[in-house]
Amino acid sequence: MKAKVLDKKRKARDVSSDSESDDELGNGLFDGVLSASEDEEDYIPSDQIEEDDSESENDGTEGSDEDEEDDDALLSDDIPSDDEELSKLEELEITEPGVDPKPKEVEEDERNYRIDKDANGNDRYVYDEIDPVYDSDDSDAQGPVNTIGNIPLSFYDTYPHIGYDINGKKIMRPATGDALQSLLDTIEVPKGWTGLTDINTGNPLNLTDEELEIVRRVQMGLAPDDLIDPYPDTVEWFTSKEEKMPLSAAPEPKRRFLPSKNEAKQIMKLVRAIREGRILPYKPPEEREREAEEQEEVHFDLWQDEEPQAPNPMHIPAPKLPPPGYEMSYNPPEEYLPTQEEREEWEKTDPEERTKEFLPTKYTSLRKVPAWGELVKERFERCMDLYLAPRVRKNRLNIDPNSLLPKLPSPSELKPFPTVVQTIFRGHEGTVRSVAIDPTGVALATGGSDGTVRVWELLTGRQVWSVTLSSDEPVYTVRWRPTKDAFILSAAVGEDIFLMVPTHSSVTPALDQTSRDVLAAGFGYATNGQQAAIPAGKEPAGKWARPGTKLEDEGVLVRITVRSTVKVINWHRRGDHFSTTSPEGQRSSVAIHTLSKHLTQIPFRKLHGIAQAAAFHPSKPIFFVATMRTIRCYDLQKLELIKIVQPGAKWISSIDIHPGGDNLIVGSYDRRLLWHDLDLSNRPYKTMRFHPKAIRAVKYHKGGLPLFADASDDGTLQIFHGKVPNDQLENPTIVPVKQLKGHKVVNQVGVVDIDWHPREPWCVSAGADGTARLWM
Amino acid sequence: MDEPMMDAQHGAQVKVTFTTTEPDLQLPESKRQLLVPADIKRYGLSRILNSESFLDTGSIPFDFLVNGSFLRSNIEDYLNNNGLSLESNLTLQYVRSLIPPTFEASFEHDDWVSAVDVLSRTSPAGRWSGDSFQGQDRILSASYDGLLRIWNASGDVLVTSPSGSHGGHTASMKSAKFLSSNQLASAGMDRTVRVWKYTEAANGSSAELKPTLELYGHTASIDSIDVDGASKRILTASADGSIGYWSAVKASGTEVDSSLLPGAHTSKRRKVTTSITTAQRGPISLMNIHNAPATAAIFDPRDRTVAYSASQDHTVKTIDLTTAQVVSTLPTSHPLLSLCAIPRSGAPLLAAGTAARHITLVDPRTSAAATSVMTLRGHTNKVVSLSANPDNEYSLVSGSHDGTCRIWDLRSVRPASKDEGGMGSVSEPVYVIERESRQGKKKTVAGEGTKVFGVVWDKSLGIVSGGEDKKVQINQGKDVVPQQ
Repeated sequence: MKAKVLDKKRKARDVSSDSESDDELGNGLFDGVLSASEDEEDYIPSDQIEEDDSESENDGTEGSDEDEEDDDALLSDDIPSDDEELSKLEELEITEPGVDPKPKEVEEDERNYRIDKDANGNDRYVYDEIDPVYDSDDSDAQGPVNTIGNIPLSFYDTYPHIGYDINGKKIMRPATGDALQSLLDTIEVPKGWTGLTDINTGNPLNLTDEELEIVRRVQMGLAPDDLIDPYPDTVEWFTSKEEKMPLSAAPEPKRRFLPSKNEAKQIMKLVRAIREGRILPYKPPEEREREAEEQEEVHFDLWQDEEPQAPNPMHIPAPKLPPPGYEMSYNPPEEYLPTQEEREEWEKTDPEERTKEFLPTKYTSLRKVPAWGELVKERFERCMDLYLAPRVRKNRLNIDPNSLLPKLPSPSELKPFPTVVQTIFRGHEGTVRSVAIDPTGVALATGGSDGTVRVWELLTGRQVWSVTLSSDEPVYTVRWRPTKDAFILSAAVGEDIFLMVPTHSSVTPALDQTSRDVLAAGFGYATNGQQAAIPAGKEPAGKWARPGTKLEDEGVLVRITVRSTVKVINWHRRGDHFSTTSPEGQRSSVAIHTLSKHLTQIPFRKLHGIAQAAAFHPSKPIFFVATMRTIRCYDLQKLELIKIVQPGAKWISSIDIHPGGDNLIVGSYDRRLLWHDLDLSNRPYKTMRFHPKAIRAVKYHKGGLPLFADASDDGTLQIFHGKVPNDQLENPTIVPVKQLKGHKVVNQVGVVDIDWHPREPWCVSAGADGTARLWM
Repeated sequence: MDEPMMDAQHGAQVKVTFTTTEPDLQLPESKRQLLVPADIKRYGLSRILNSESFLDTGSIPFDFLVNGSFLRSNIEDYLNNNGLSLESNLTLQYVRSLIPPTFEASFEHDDWVSAVDVLSRTSPAGRWSGDSFQGQDRILSASYDGLLRIWNASGDVLVTSPSGSHGGHTASMKSAKFLSSNQLASAGMDRTVRVWKYTEAANGSSAELKPTLELYGHTASIDSIDVDGASKRILTASADGSIGYWSAVKASGTEVDSSLLPGAHTSKRRKVTTSITTAQRGPISLMNIHNAPATAAIFDPRDRTVAYSASQDHTVKTIDLTTAQVVSTLPTSHPLLSLCAIPRSGAPLLAAGTAARHITLVDPRTSAAATSVMTLRGHTNKVVSLSANPDNEYSLVSGSHDGTCRIWDLRSVRPASKDEGGMGSVSEPVYVIERESRQGKKKTVAGEGTKVFGVVWDKSLGIVSGGEDKKVQINQGKDVVPQQ
């Protein structure tokens, strides 16, 4: 390091001396030298040079020209050159980067501001804008860059320069090492020469070896005195070692005085173990053994704490053994001693068969009585008996079964309803198949197996009219046309439906004539050709014709022949339409007849099952068709299926629609009577089984009384009170009020049909015993 | 004191006080109190009263009323049943004992007898005839074969009405009444009322019955007819719900609605051809006041311008005949099938037979507090005919489809039990007249074959009834109800 510093000083002196002589030349010379020394030596010390330069400037301001002259004078040979060198260095520093020094001089001459007058008349300095020209004095500016490009430097070996800078000026080849060395060699430097002057003496300042050493050490950044050990051993003033006397003033942590949970847990574990006897205090083994032996001998008395209990009602004491009798005595009386036969017989019988377990035996004294060998067995059996016999009183529910039944009003509160038979209508031979009370409530029509239709005076039971419709086929059903303006009765016999005016004496000629006109109107309709044209070759569903003079004289005026035996007739409320049902007819089992047009239509191309009954809704254009298991409701206007009611019966026998239209009763051959609320569900609201035999007919009272009845093959009628409340939220009340007995059962058939009086709580039943009965 | 029964067994004796309402049988004041054995019965008490020391009447049978009901068993039982001690003083009201309505005769018919009427000196018709009636008692019967028959008391048919082809009824008859000794009216299911002239031979062995008038107007069977012989007016009730008011005098009749006449419409049915033409008249007024079949219409016994009608629509209506207006409507709770007026001082009491097997007594006066006065229970079938006792104001006979006629005493009443509706008072029959034709055989169900359709209680002839057994039955009717 010391050598380096010296090298530089020499260099600087050389440069300054050269540059003074001739710019052009000096440049050219130094250029080549510098370029030869290359970047390493040229650039790294530049900072140092600058520092030196700043120092030297300060020196320069302090010192004066006279001093310089003095210095020159003082320094014999070399010292003035040193000063000179410094000033050269100053210059060098400016010129060194290869920048033209002229601009600096220009800058010094020209101020970079001008003075204006501001608004107040004061001076204002307006500085020029800094022109960021390429060679402006920014510190980032590079030194002269050789622009020769990417060609080997050897191309310039023959030239003094080594290339061109960016301004096209030649970059001179720096001085080579050989030239410097030869220069330096010419200079002899005394030992310890520093080139400095001692201020105190004025003599050249020479440094001794020690001093040089100190300088070197300082330069090395070491301590000047080598006594000082820069790396002494570490003294550990604070160590990890715990001192015996802790001097910490930290407050005591909480854990020091809070009981430890973990320890408590551990202790509790032990305590528990001790309590449960898992940890036992130590005992010597022999003592332990002795204790174990003692324990084995302990017998617990399970009942020692038992207290005599008061006999509670559920306690059944064990039966006592009978007290011993005379025969058990060791010395029984003579009559208890078995005879020889008895003894033999006893011995012969199997021990299990014996009535007595022992034979009475006589001993002369008690001490001669031997031990009883069966004792253990006997005791065991006794214990077994007691164990196996469940001596537990059964806890019977003490509930009155009637109280579990729903609260229904008493039948006596639901009067009136029919209670007894009041009129018996006799006349039919064989079963009365059907009954119907006319809309005025005066006449009763019956149809029977004898093929006759009879009309009776309702109250007296007087027959007022009759006609024989068939000699061999029964009249299955008779129904009145449900209007009072005419007096028309319909009856079904086999495949024929007859419409008749049963004119007896109390029918006025006018009413009779009206009825006849109603029936005859359709004939005119048919002949006028207004009837729907029936395709040729196709048989009409029903043939409407006059039944012949003999019947016409009796009042039977129209005969409709359909394809199969008609069993059920139901009229529409207006009396113009009626439906017939013939279960045997396949496709044509349900037919709707129009009286005014003498027209028969078959509404269903296909039926799901065997039709049993069909009925019209009492107020809406709805048609109900009951097959064996289901009831289908059809809208007659829209011609669509509305609802399928499924009563759950296996074979529906009859249906009836409540006059309100929202409820339906269904009777079935499987003994059930089902009430349907059509708004509520497709399933029955109530299922009733009051009859041991099939139900043949069901009927609502149509005159405003909340009554309905069914007729069964067991020969009875069951009358029900069935009130449909006006409030939609309430359910109908259904109370069975009366069973009407009276009809005799003939050939398993009891009551076949039933009808209600249009106003009064009277009903009429048709029985297989050949009678119709009026109940009221 | 003569005390034939005083040496009684147990010595238990009851103090009784005899009273009576009959003036001719009054006991002297001193003899009214008596100690009698506790087990004494009606017969013994009757003998005591008949004995010389008391009334000395010989053998008048007496009945004894205790607190309004007849003494049926002995006194001790009565006391026990009523929770009275033997020490209590018992008041016995003695009345002449009743004679059971014994059977007297029955007249055979060809068909059911629907109605009967009696012509006698004491019957209304006899009274209306006045002095002109000199003959014997006659019985009129209307039958379901459409014929009227007139019998004398010995059971001979004096005359039978002509059949339908000869001016008679063309269908079953429902009702017939004597207007006077020589005029009668009948009606039936042929919707017509016919007025007949009845002439009898001087010796009373034969008679003639000639139709004089046919009255048309009803459009359904006529179930009941009532007549007023004095004014020759007829009242009918028909199943068409209307009440007809007719005149039996040809001259005062009105024009007939021709549509109601037979043959008004030509139809192919069998036509009844009549060889005899009779005058045809319409009603004085036809009141369509019931909305169900009207079943009976009667004149007020005192005021012949007032009528009462009963109907199956549960109402009894009071009609002013001069204006043909309904004056008042009395609702009852059951369909009514028959009606009779029991004359009383003031307005009559109306007895209405119902389809519900009882008789309702209603007071038609508008001032009456309770319209339903009493209910007579006992019949087991519809009560279709009623007749008041001509002798007094508190008894009547009813004919029912159960095959019995029952005699009721309105004085013997008790409060209705809860089963009977708990309202009003209830009476039970005094006597039950069975049909003789049954000859003691077992009772039929619902009176089948023995239904009674008509009954009349006459003072002289007794109780005359006709029914389904095709017989007119006459029962003794005197003194069956205790006199007051």
